[in-house]
Parts: sequence; structure tokens; C-alpha cells
Amino acid sequence: MIKLQLDAYAHLNTILHRWDPRYKTIGLMALIFAFSFVQDLRLLPFMVLTTWILFVVSRLPLSFLLDRLRLPAYFLLIMAVLLPFLSGETVLFEIGPLAAKEEGCLQLLVITVRFICILTVAIILFGTTPFLTTIKAMHALGLPFILTDMAFFSYRYLYEIGDHLKTMERAMKMRGFQGRGLGAIGMFASLAGTILVRSCEQSDRVYKAMSLRGYGRPRCFSEEFQAGLRDRIGLLIVILVAMVFAGLQFIIR
Amino acid sequence: MHIPDGILPASVCLGGYVTAGAATWYSLRKIGRKEDPREGVPKASLLTAAFFVASWIHIPVPPASVHLVLNGLLGVVLGYYAFPAVLIGLFFQAVMFQHGGLSTLGVNATIMGIPALLAYYLFQLRNVVSKNNRVATTVFGFLAGAGGMGIGVFAAMVLLVTTVPAHVDAAAERASIYALTFAHIPLMVLEGVFTALVVLFLQRVKPDMLGENDKTSA
Repeated sequence: MIKLQLDAYAHLNTILHRWDPRYKTIGLMALIFAFSFVQDLRLLPFMVLTTWILFVVSRLPLSFLLDRLRLPAYFLLIMAVLLPFLSGETVLFEIGPLAAKEEGCLQLLVITVRFICILTVAIILFGTTPFLTTIKAMHALGLPFILTDMAFFSYRYLYEIGDHLKTMERAMKMRGFQGRGLGAIGMFASLAGTILVRSCEQSDRVYKAMSLRGYGRPRCFSEEFQAGLRDRIGLLIVILVAMVFAGLQFIIR
Repeated sequence: MHIPDGILPASVCLGGYVTAGAATWYSLRKIGRKEDPREGVPKASLLTAAFFVASWIHIPVPPASVHLVLNGLLGVVLGYYAFPAVLIGLFFQAVMFQHGGLSTLGVNATIMGIPALLAYYLFQLRNVVSKNNRVATTVFGFLAGAGGMGIGVFAAMVLLVTTVPAHVDAAAERASIYALTFAHIPLMVLEGVFTALVVLFLQRVKPDMLGENDKTSA
């Protein structure tokens, strides 16, 4: 199973790392939504600049960012192939019977920049705080306890269940299972079913063990966080930047 | 099925959060009616993780292989916990693999989670025939799996085609939506067959997993 290493650089000591996770979540999510408002080409350089400043301040390695951009870039590649030819009316150039349109190309540029900027801000948000602390911060901000608990438990058992799957796949291969052709679908269904049954049985044991340890009492994570003046000023600045982006897009629309 | 960040306009992303919020509220309200709402959390969480992992199983479809969405199966097994499970699964995928996105989390949860809830209701119709009837389990398992994916694909295609390309006339839009949805029919059939086979397996090995939802549907 892929080791996720999402918060491998959460131990660094920068302004962004020290920022109260509750304020960071609100501020950077506001920035993400403000970026998704941007449609005007003139705002793109400022969006890139803002993202770049945040990334430099976070001191996350560039390789960490590029590794995480690789997978979603495939979707963007599909858009890059389709959008210039499907969207718009003004022909820019022709490749055989296909005509690339100006509007489609410009739209692709906006989508690409927006995509990279939003993704980078999201990586900064989750790369500068331990993942479980971010979930606690979300709970402190009002995330219902059922969603919080489900997120904690799922995260806790993800690796374990992933390892179960790997072990079972290896065992199937050692018993001669080739996994070729559509005929193998029954075996794959049994494999998925076994994973579900094992997880269900394990959850019974987990629940009993946790009940014995006091699971079920109300908890409050907000006491774990203490925001200072710097945290508030940081939030104010980022919210202002987000409002400027959304406001400018609204004005020049 | 996982629409990434930056593709959809902000209004659609915000609309997605509104519908996902409403669906989460509805699901949590149903779960909250249980005597102890926390009791089902470990089971739902471990199964969420299990579904997350099971969706990595690649089914060989010569000459390539595909991985399944499993939202219909998720609805069948988890009932009202299905929507929170989809939300958390997609959140993990967006954060850990950058598959999907944070701004589009609401949209993605809606297009995958609401079909999961519909699949749950569809599968419950098998009780009209008989809970232990293998044919009914197979048929409703297939419909839940294929329908869960089909509705999700249709919703995703409608969103992508109507909001992304500029200056496309309505007829071309409609044709694209139908063409892209029909192109997914083989995958819907595969998803339906796989769901039916898993449901039959569960009925044979651990039948209470299929009836467990009844407790939460009060």
C-alpha cells in the first residue's frame, strides 16, 4: 500500500506551521474558494504570486509539491486535449479536420492556473499541520462528532486494511490465481467481500475495546488550541486577500 | 467521477457544498435517532476504510483494467452511514492523493453520495419479495450497483458539459451528455455485476451485514 506521508513536513517551524490550525483552515479554505471565483486572465499572475509566496513561506520542498501534482495532472491532460477543440468559435489553428478555438485555449489556461494554485494551497494547508490535528481543528470549528470520529477511525485503519488486501492478493497469486480475463471477476468480488467481512468483525472488537476505555463520553478539542494576536492578524490578512480576489473578479466581470 | 479543483465555477462548487450539507444533515438526523448514535461509528468507519481499499482492486477488462466506484455497494451495506462515508472517503482522496479536490468536495460527495443513498433505498425493495431470495438479492444488488454508478456518472457529465466549455450550443451539449453517459454503460454493467456478486457473497457468509441498515433506518 502507498504510504501517504501527507504530513511528512509538518514538523518544520515556519509562520504557517505555527499558525493556529483552526485559523489556518478557515483562512486557506477562504483563499481556495476565492481562487475558484477567478475567471479573468488579468488576475492569474496575482493568483500565482500569492500561491508562490505562501509556498515559499511554508518551506515545503518543491519535489513534495510536484509529486502530489502528478496524479491529478492526468485529468488536466484530458481537458487539454478536449477543451481547445470543443469550446469556442474563433479558430486559432487547425490540425487536420480539427480546429483549435481561441476561447477554448484561454479557458484551458484559466483552468490550469486555477487548478495548480488551489491544489498548492490545499497541500500547504495539510502539509504544514499533522493530519489528526487538522481533523481536531475541524471538530473545534463545528464538524459533527460522527464525522470526526469516522474520520479518525478510518484514518487509523486505512493502512491496516490496505495491508490485509495486499496479503490476500499475494496469497491468491501463490495459489495460482492469475487474475486475467473477465472470468476472474467472481474471485475479485469474493476478495472485496472478505475485506468487508473482516473489517466488520474487527469493528465489533474495536467497539467493545473502546467502550471499556470510555469511548462515548463527549470530548472537546477546542481547549487544545490557543490562538494569539499573530494568528488573528494572519487570518485577517488572508481573508482580505481572498476578498480582494473575489471582489476584483466581481467588479471586472 | 472525481472532479478536480479549478475545473468548475465557484457557484457550482458552493452549490455542491449546500447539497452535500443537506444530505449530511439528513443522514446524521437519521443516524441520530438511534439510541446510541456512536455505536455504529466504528463499524461504519472500518467499512469506509475497507471500501476505500476495495476500490483499489483492479478488475481486468482486456486490454486494460479498471477500478470500481462501489458507491452502490456502499449504500447497500452502510445505509444512512453511506453519505458520511462517501464524504470522508472523498476528503481522504482529495487530501492524500489529490484525487478530486477540496473546492469540489461538495460536488463530488453529492454526485457519488446521493446515488449511494438511492442505491440503499433500491436494495431495500428486495424485502418486498423476500430477504433470503437469491434471485431477488442478485437483481436488486445489480440494480443498486449499476444504478448507483449510472446516476453518479450522469450527474458528473451534466455538470462538466454544461459548466466547463464556453460557447457550445444546447443541442451539442445534450448530445455530449448522452454520448458520454452511454460510453459508461459497460462500466455500469461491470459495477452492477460486481455489486451483485459481493452482495451474494455477504448473504452467504455474513447475512447480517445486509440487514444491519434496518437498525439505523428508524
